[in-house]
Formats: sequence, C-alpha cells, structure tokens
Amino acid sequence: MFKFNNINLDIWTETYGISFYLTYLSRWPDLCCVQEAPNGHMMGYVIGKAEGHGQDWHGHVTALTVAPEYRRLSLARKMMSLLEMVSDETYKGFFVDLYVRCTNSVAISMYEGLGYSVYRRVREYYGSLGLGRASKDEEDAFDMRKPLSRDPHRRSVRANGREFVVSAHDVS
Amino acid sequence: MSTALDRQIRPIYDALDTQSNKSAVLACNKVLKKQPNNVLVKALKALALVRLQKVEESLLLADEVLAKKPTDDGVLTAMMHVLRGLGRHSDIVAMFETAYKQHPQNEDLGTQTFFANVRVGNWKAAQQVATKMHKQFQDDRYLYWSIFSAVLQANDMATPEALRPVLLKLALRLISSGNTPSYFNPDRFYVHLLILRELEMYDDAATLLNHEIGQKICETSLVCDEIRRDIMKLKGACKQEGEQAKVKILEKKDRNWLEFLSLLDATFWDIASTSEPASEDVKAAVTEEIAKTRKVFSEAATVDGLKDRSGLLALLELEKRTKSHGLWTDACEIRMMAENYFSQFGDKACCYEDLLPYLAFEGEELEQWTSFLNSRKSFDTPDTLQRSINVYKLLRYNLTSAELTPELELARAQEYIKVYLDGLKFGVNLPDTELQPADDFAILVGHAYVSLWKLTGEESHLQSAAATLEYASARSKQSYRIRLLLIRIYHLLGAPALALDHYRLMNVKQVQTDTLSHLILSRAAMWSLAPLGDITYMSECMEASQIYMSNSTEVCNLLLILFAIVMTNIQTAEFIARAFSTERYSQIIDFIEFEDRLDNSLQRDLMKVEHVRMRVAHEPLNAELVDMELIELKFIFDRIHHDNRDFEVIPNYQPRCQPSFNEQTLPLKPPGAGWLSAYLKVYIRAFQEASDLDETVEDKLLIGDRPKPSNDPENQLPLRERLVKKRQEEIDDLSEDEKLFYEYTLALSEWVGPYHDYVRPPPSALLAEAAKSNDLKPGHPLKSMAAAANGSATNGHSKKDEEPPAVKESPELIPKFFDDMKSRFDAVISGTALPSELLHIVATTQEAYLLFALETVRFKPNSIIKQYKFGQLAQSFKDLRVKASSILNEMSTVLAKLGEEVATPDGRKAFVQASSSIQDSSGFDHDFVLGVAKKTTDARKQTYEGIAKGLAKVVKNHS
Repeated sequence: MFKFNNINLDIWTETYGISFYLTYLSRWPDLCCVQEAPNGHMMGYVIGKAEGHGQDWHGHVTALTVAPEYRRLSLARKMMSLLEMVSDETYKGFFVDLYVRCTNSVAISMYEGLGYSVYRRVREYYGSLGLGRASKDEEDAFDMRKPLSRDPHRRSVRANGREFVVSAHDVS
Repeated sequence: MSTALDRQIRPIYDALDTQSNKSAVLACNKVLKKQPNNVLVKALKALALVRLQKVEESLLLADEVLAKKPTDDGVLTAMMHVLRGLGRHSDIVAMFETAYKQHPQNEDLGTQTFFANVRVGNWKAAQQVATKMHKQFQDDRYLYWSIFSAVLQANDMATPEALRPVLLKLALRLISSGNTPSYFNPDRFYVHLLILRELEMYDDAATLLNHEIGQKICETSLVCDEIRRDIMKLKGACKQEGEQAKVKILEKKDRNWLEFLSLLDATFWDIASTSEPASEDVKAAVTEEIAKTRKVFSEAATVDGLKDRSGLLALLELEKRTKSHGLWTDACEIRMMAENYFSQFGDKACCYEDLLPYLAFEGEELEQWTSFLNSRKSFDTPDTLQRSINVYKLLRYNLTSAELTPELELARAQEYIKVYLDGLKFGVNLPDTELQPADDFAILVGHAYVSLWKLTGEESHLQSAAATLEYASARSKQSYRIRLLLIRIYHLLGAPALALDHYRLMNVKQVQTDTLSHLILSRAAMWSLAPLGDITYMSECMEASQIYMSNSTEVCNLLLILFAIVMTNIQTAEFIARAFSTERYSQIIDFIEFEDRLDNSLQRDLMKVEHVRMRVAHEPLNAELVDMELIELKFIFDRIHHDNRDFEVIPNYQPRCQPSFNEQTLPLKPPGAGWLSAYLKVYIRAFQEASDLDETVEDKLLIGDRPKPSNDPENQLPLRERLVKKRQEEIDDLSEDEKLFYEYTLALSEWVGPYHDYVRPPPSALLAEAAKSNDLKPGHPLKSMAAAANGSATNGHSKKDEEPPAVKESPELIPKFFDDMKSRFDAVISGTALPSELLHIVATTQEAYLLFALETVRFKPNSIIKQYKFGQLAQSFKDLRVKASSILNEMSTVLAKLGEEVATPDGRKAFVQASSSIQDSSGFDHDFVLGVAKKTTDARKQTYEGIAKGLAKVVKNHS
C-alpha cells in the first residue's frame, strides 16, 4: 500500500480506506494479487471477493488496475484469468462479475474481449469524477458477467443487458 | 434478563446505536433511579458520556463498574468501548482477565481475554491465555494461537535478544505436541516453517518441504512458497531450486520472475557463493552453465514473442551478471540484447524502466547504441510515437557531462517541445479522461529546463518549465506526473499556493497521504501564513493525520478477525465462516508490520512537528498549548521511525551523470529521522522549560496508556540528558540555517533553564491545585492550571529556601544568531537565489524569535521580576527582543517591497521574456505564457506579502 501511488493516482482507480484493503487481504487473500516489475515497481493489482447465495454464488472483481507505464502488456488479462481460475476452482462460483463506469470504454471493450457481457446497468453507482460532462454515463455502471464451468448453460448472463437498468439501491 | 428490564434497556441501546448520546444518558438515568446498582446501565451510561467527551464523569462510572468485577457479556462489551474511548487498553485486559478467572470454563471469555492481549500487543500474556485454553478445551486452534503468540513475542522489539531462541524453541516443542501435524492447513504449515527458519534449522525445514504434502501446499499457497524459496536459499540449495525453475519455465510456461531469478542464482552459484577468487575450472564450469541458461531464456523468449517480456529481460540480466563476475566474453552482448529487446517492446511504455539497469554503456558501445536509437525515431502513428518517446528518454539517459552544456540542453528542450506539439495530434479526439500520448515529451521539456536552471542558475528556465508543463497539464488533465513536476517547480519559484492547487487536483487520500503529503508538507512551516490566521497548511496537516487515528483501531480489529474462527458478530454466508476457519497466521505478521510502519511513520511525526511550528506562530503561547504539545511530543520522541515517503513516483529522465529530478528540485534536503529528532529536542526542551509540568506531575495526571518503552540503550538515559545531546545524524540532516538555529536554541535553553527551574512551582503545589479542579480531560490534562502558569505563578507555593541563581549575561551566540541571519538575508537578496531560499531564512529567524518568546514568557510579569530580583535578566531579555524585532521588521519591509515589485506588469513582462525560448520555437502564444506569468507572480506576491505581514504581526504579538 505504501508503493501503489504510481497506480492509484490514475483517475480510473479509486483509493479506498486502509481497512478496505486489509479486509480483502484477510478474507480473500487468494483473490488479491499484485504484479511487480523486476525493478520492484508495482505494475498492477487485482482485488476480488466471493459472495452471493445459491445460484448467485460468484466471484466479484472489486478492483483491477494497471499503472499507465505498464499498460498494453496483457497484464490485466493475466490477472483476470488468475481471478477466474481461483473463483472457479477454489470457490466453485457460478460466474465472475464486475462493475465498470459506462464511460470507461477502453476497459469495457477489454472485458468483452475476455468473454464478459453486460448484465445490467446500475444507475448512479459511482461518485462523480467531477468533470462536469456526460455525468449520467459517468456515474452509471455496467454490471458485466462471465459464466464459469459450474454454469455451462450460461444462465448467469443475458444478451441485451445494456437495457436492464436498476438503481444503485437494488444492488449490494 | 427479564422482559420488563429488557423493555427499559432497549431504548438505551437504540439511542447509542443512532449516536443520540444525550438521550442515552437520560434513558440511563431513568433506569438508574429505580435500580441504582444496575451495572449494565452504568456501563452504558459511561459509554454515552465518553462519547459526549464528558471524560471525568465517565471515568468515575467506569471505575465503579470495574470494581464490581463484571462477567456479563453485555457489560463487558460496553466497558470495552468505554475503556477504548478513554485510551485505557490495559484496563480492558485486566477486566477480561478477571472475568475469565471467575469462569474458567467459559470459552468466549477466554477468547476475549486472548484478543484483549493481542490488541495491546501483549504477546506473553496472550500466549499464556491460549495455553490455558488449549488445556481446557483441547482444540488445536488454541495451541496454534499460543504457538504464534510465542513467535510474535520473539519478534517483538522489546524482547531481549537472549530470550528469542528460547521462545522459538518453546513454540517448536508445542507444535510437536499437537494432535494434528502442522500441514493440516497451509497457515499452520507456514508457522512451522517460519519457526524452523528463525532457528536456522534448514534441514528440518527441507524435510518438511520435500514431503509430498509439503510440496502440494507450496504449489497452491503463495506465502508458503515464498518462505520455501527463502529457506532453500539460506540452506544453500540454489542449484536444486534452479533445476526446478528450469522445468517450470520450459514446461509449465511459468513466467513468474522469481523463477527466472532462481535459475540465474543457480547459474552463478559456484562463483557467487564463495568470497575466494574462482579457479579456472570453476570459471569454465560456470561459463558452461551460462550457455545452458541462455538457451532456456532464449527458448522462453521465442515461445512468448510479444506476449511476455520475461525471457528477454532474463537474457539481459544474464549478460549483466556474466559481466559483473568477470566472465565477459563478447563485449557487445548486452547492447545486442538491449537492441533486441527494444525491437520487440520499444513501443511499450515500460521499455525505458525495463532497460535502465542494463544501459551503462561507454565508448564504442555507447556510440553504436546511440546510432541504433537515432535510427528508430519516427512519428507516424501512436505506436511509433511511444517508441520515439522511449528513444528520447534512452538517449537522454546516456548523455555525458560534456554533452550537457547550456546550449545543447536548450536545443534539446526546443526539440522536445517541437515533438511534443507535433505529437498532440494523436490525442486530439481522446476524451479528457485519457492521458495524451505525447505527455512524456512535455515531461522531458520540464527535465531539460530544470537541468538548464541547475547549469546556469537562471530562474528563467524554471519559468519556462512551468509554462510548458502548465500547457501540457491543461491538455492532459489527468496526468499526475505533470502535476508532480509542477508542484516541485512552483515551490522553487515561491508560489506554494499553486503547488497546493496541483496537489489537491491529484486527489491524494487515505494511505496516500502518508506516502505523498511530503510533497507539500515538508518544512511547510516555511510557507505557512499561520501568523496571519491563514491555517491552510495547518488544516492540511490535521487532515493528513486523520488516517493514523482511524487506522490503529482498524488494524487491531482485523488482527482479531485473523485469529478467530467464527466471529460472533459476523455470521452471514457459509463461505465467510469457511474463510475464517483457516487461521491466517501469515497475514498476521504482515498486518503487524503494516501497523508498525504506519503508526511509526516518519511523515506522520514530521507533520506533527510542522503543525507545532505553525501553531506556535498562530496561537498565544499559554499553558494550554505548552503542556499539551509537550506531552504529545514526548510521546513520539522515543519512536523508531519508518520512512514510507514515496519519492520514486516523481518521474526522472535526467541523464545518469546528473542527480535525479527529485534531488534537483528539492529546495532543501528532505527532512529525515535526524531532522525530526533535532526539532523534537528543540521543542521539547523549550516546552519543558516553559511548562510547570514536571515528570512526576505528568505521571499522576495523565489518563490512558503510555507508549511501550523501547529497548534501545540510548533511550535508557534520563530524558534531560538526551535532550541536550547533539547527534551527528541530526546535524547532517539540517540545512546551514537550521544548524545555526539548532545551536541557538541549545544556548538559549542552557542560559534560561536554571531560572525556569527555580521559579517553577513545586509538584506538590500543582497536584493540590489539580485535585481541586475536576475539569480534567485527556489531551488537556492541565487546563485548570493555565491560570497558575499565566499570571500569578506565586499562587499556592511558598518561597524557596535557596537563593535564586545568579543572573548571567546572555550567551554571545544568541544576539549573534540574529546578526548572522540578517547578513544571510542581505546576501541572498542581492544575489540570484530562489524565493524558497529567502523564505527559509526568514522562517528560521521568525522561529528563533518565537522560541525566545516561549522561553521568556514566564518572566514577563512584574511580580516575578520583583520577587526573584530578575531585573537584570529582564533587561537582557528586553535588549535581545528589541534587537530581534528590529531585524524581523526589516526583513518584513524588504519582503513586502519584493512582493510589490514582482506582481507588476514589468514583473510579468520579465517572466514572459525569460521564457521567450519556448515561444520562438513553437506555437505557444504570448497570451498563454502571460497567463502563467500572472498566476505565478501573483502567487509569489501573495506569499511574500503574507509572510511579511505575518512577521510584523509576530513581532507585535510578542513584544
């Protein structure tokens, strides 16, 4: 945490309270992973958790981020596949999901490339970035999902998810 | 609990839950009227009171409850919160211990007692509780609690060296006494390995690790694998590790860099493991190994292609190590590898940092490398733009000092600007949340101008840098790297307000304040306009300090979670229970280290000292300030600090023969542990003398726990002796002006100290006074005595028997200090020094004046002078004060005049002309530069004028 400034000063990466990170590290250490460059700089990290009941039991990507200078090296892809593997094998989840700002088009297309699709749109999930434009897209989030091996019939996803809108109160 | 009572108590809980503490108190009183001895209600009332800051009342109630030796769950829980609020953690331990003793079969009480000890880091007691629980309840989990507590005790700083192996051996014995073997789960296995490693029983550890289950655990558990690597290395089994790594790299396609390092270590083991010069035979054997390893890495690189850069980087590392072991075969190998790497990954942003360790080329190699790079410049697509950025950075890295003339640097700056402006076209259509691909060229411009400033000493280059970077920042709003450079440059230019703006726009928060607030809060007192009532920097300090307050309790709570299997208050999904069922011992060590680094953060206490410096300038110097700060500073004086500050995040593309950008743009050497120690001593001494509080009084009046004493022999000396001892590391950390200041404060307190000691009321009088008052609060322990110290110090104590110490003339050093500072000031004004240097001198002089005021405030009242016949002393004080005041007033006048001059149209014109170099070459229009000029000069004017007015006010307040 003392070394993640090069990553977290980036606008798309939220910096949470200390206890937030410690909680994840204590509960789901196997869903948290940092990638370091040979010179010791942090390149990126992923933080995830497992949650839900019954059919809804799934892995959740809380944060996935790569420092600007280490982008375009497929680091995110590698970390996502690690998280999917752990969610699948250790936690036996049905799917993996994540939230992303509707304006973060680079991330959305990457997730789509990894097999994720939009499940629903969550209204006012994020705080404003304070850029004062297109604020609706900015604060809304897409909930994106990818089924795992326990969901061979792809029950956890749907094709037209972008049109399903829910408010932030309805999701945890 | 009867339903009737339940009905009465529920509203109390409801009120407490909703933070309606006042109504909680009322509800408690209602019940207590009928049942004056209800312990639970008393405890709840104490809780509501402590939340309302009514400490004294809460204390009384809490003591009443504790005297009843409660064992009821509800009472204990409420009391835990009360005592925490009062800072009495050791009382929590005692409370649970008493309860558990009464009910030794109550597992929950045992657990709570264990946790209470963990919370205060009382590992020895924790270990004893856990052992007792293991005997009683026969659960191996408690055995491991006790084992791990012993390990933590062995790791604790306060544990004597000789006791450590004893504790570890005890832990090891306990492990073998368990019903299940340690590989029952990875975290227990980890504890076992940890103990064996600490005891240097590597062979035993290896036996465990080579066992089938041991191997399995290491495959899935990263922490166990990490300690495995460590043990193997310590055992000297590098070659074996290397073989395994080879298999992983080739067959499993493992691209963990640690595997590559294992193989590298194994390759050079025969040479690196001995200090004796290697024989020819050994050299030949290693050379053969190198060839084999090279093949492995090449294969990995070929297989991966563009997918992974590990193979190519490993090849570079291999050649570098070959060279460093004197096994050099082909001189151009490293360069070829670097070129190879560049050809594949040259269009990635990480290229520069990846290659840096391998590029110290000289002579012909350098020439070839340079011409290779020069042929790779092109600006057709975003990808080639990124490659060109790498080319420019890499070329700059290898510039020799002969190539760093002002003319050539200026030409480079202009070239960077040109390619920057050209490169902007690739980012025209990007949304403003994206970074501009050409940003790094602007950063290079900043570097070139800073280098020019260093070469020529001309401030104009800094202005050019500011103008270019502002331009780039406006185009790439999210680039924190540009802002980092601007923050540094604006400080140098004497425009701290603009630096603060950029810092705020970076949105630094939470733990980042610990690592980054140094950017604006290092020696912030120097910029602060606190004397004028502007508390911007003071509140920035307070805000940044918030994280430490909230954190300590958080970490404690998490530690408890880690130990626990099922926490009573968390019982949701089946999964959470399962996650807790594995005891995460490996995390506990990390968390404790994290907590230690944050609690004892150097930046944290540097901020504290800055805050005190500003507070002294801002507030009247009364007993409340003096006593409170004295106690707080003494608390941090014994800490062993960790430096968590992040300087690495500041970009650096300066040539390797130059200092880094960070080093170049620091106005002064960054304050370190030595600086902190020096300033703590200065202020503790001054506060101690000005205060009526001596140690015996303080001990009696302070509520709450004291910090754990450390084991350092240095700290065993009496505080008074330590405070006057100068240490070399302190002197090394101070600027020239601060060194003078340090000497000055020593002389001052040595001179005035005896008079303070004589006049200070005796402890008995103070305690009597305090006992009369019931206004005690933690943090303001002696508020009631403000009166005693301020006006009528003769109150409540009789005249002493001894004669007052003879009045001595002031030591020469004191007036000399002010003269020295005056001449420093004059010299800087007439020279070309930067505003930051000027302000540093002014701030140091002002601080000296304030300390003088602090040290003499006790002797101001006429009654004191008369009573102790200090007329002569008062006269010396007065002479000095007049002298210092006139010097400060003079500085104030000069500064105010400078402020006037700088923000005139002429001043702006000078700025614009100074940065003409960036206008000649490019499309920067005059108006843009003029805008930056106006902002900068206005900010500087604001600073100069503010500080000038502040000086005048300080002089007036304390004359």
